[in-house]
Amino acid sequence: MVSLYRTIRSIQRVGLREWWRQMQYIGDAKSGTFVGADQFGNRYFENRNGEEEIPGRHRWVDFAQHNYHASQVPPEWHSWISHIRQDPPTADPVVQNLTPSWQTPWVENMTGTRGAYKPYNTAKPKINAWEPKVTGRA
Amino acid sequence: MSLALKTAVVSASRRTVCHQAAVLPGLRSFHTSKPAAAEPPQQASASYAPPKPYTEIAQQGSNQLSLETPKNNAEYVLSTLDKVANWARQGSMWPMTFGLACCAVEMMHMAAARYDQDRLGVVFRASPRQSDIMIVAGTLTNKMAPALRKVYDQMPEPRWVISMGSCANGGGYYHYSYSVVRGCDRIVPVDIYVPGCPPTAEALLFGMLQLQRKMRRSRKGVLWYRK
Repeated sequence: MVSLYRTIRSIQRVGLREWWRQMQYIGDAKSGTFVGADQFGNRYFENRNGEEEIPGRHRWVDFAQHNYHASQVPPEWHSWISHIRQDPPTADPVVQNLTPSWQTPWVENMTGTRGAYKPYNTAKPKINAWEPKVTGRA
Repeated sequence: MSLALKTAVVSASRRTVCHQAAVLPGLRSFHTSKPAAAEPPQQASASYAPPKPYTEIAQQGSNQLSLETPKNNAEYVLSTLDKVANWARQGSMWPMTFGLACCAVEMMHMAAARYDQDRLGVVFRASPRQSDIMIVAGTLTNKMAPALRKVYDQMPEPRWVISMGSCANGGGYYHYSYSVVRGCDRIVPVDIYVPGCPPTAEALLFGMLQLQRKMRRSRKGVLWYRK
């Protein structure tokens, strides 16, 4: 939980600059071991000391982008951070050996940008606006 | 032997096309397929990262990027004011609950302890006059459609609509029913579509966060100034 002691301890461990960044993006003073970074530069941390972090908050990510959101975490790291796999992908032999060569690169959610997915249809529209046809009076 | 060669060429060309489509999803050219022999096959790696974030690549040369970069002092002030307004709006989104079916249960889960919407300032409000988002959760029937439109009309501007679940997005399971509206976007303008049948509370919360993103993009002051 947030306390003055915890904040001071965290600043001592991670430094003032990192603490300020944490307060801007995570909103909490956290300290733990650096587990790894993904290809996008997001950094992943863990602190398994139950006295220091509440279980459930013991794995966290520091996003590289300013406009961050959860889909910027690639699937390998997602499985680590949501406790689907115990080991991070850097240390997990299953993830390292069984990543297929034809797997496409991970793309974050592009909603709201011009890269957003837009469905299209080449079939004839089933619904058409009504165009009244009036036959002339005899 | 020739079969092996053929499959190798086909897989290489497929890899090239997939790789290009994935590298620049924002830049879609009209001609998406190129002859396989024109360029050497690239090895698509699953851990590829672009030099810039995908969203930035997609926004290159767009009107939105132009709005977000101020050109003079007046625009600088106005875009800052816009950002303040956006911050205030995204910090207290009050959704009007329009729970119509089983999606409403997932919507309640979003409000409950595990996903805890209140930490984002999202509070359900039963009155349309005091809410600014409507979450259409569930099958919209023909009979309910006028009520939906009335509730939407009673909401004050600015207002947003989240369409939650397959039924609200496009009719879903009841698409061919005689009594169901095929998507609530035929009745009200929808900002965020959350897919799923029903979407998890997590997915709906992600939709809310996407709506926050949309609110943050708003630059009404700059738009007014440029006009």
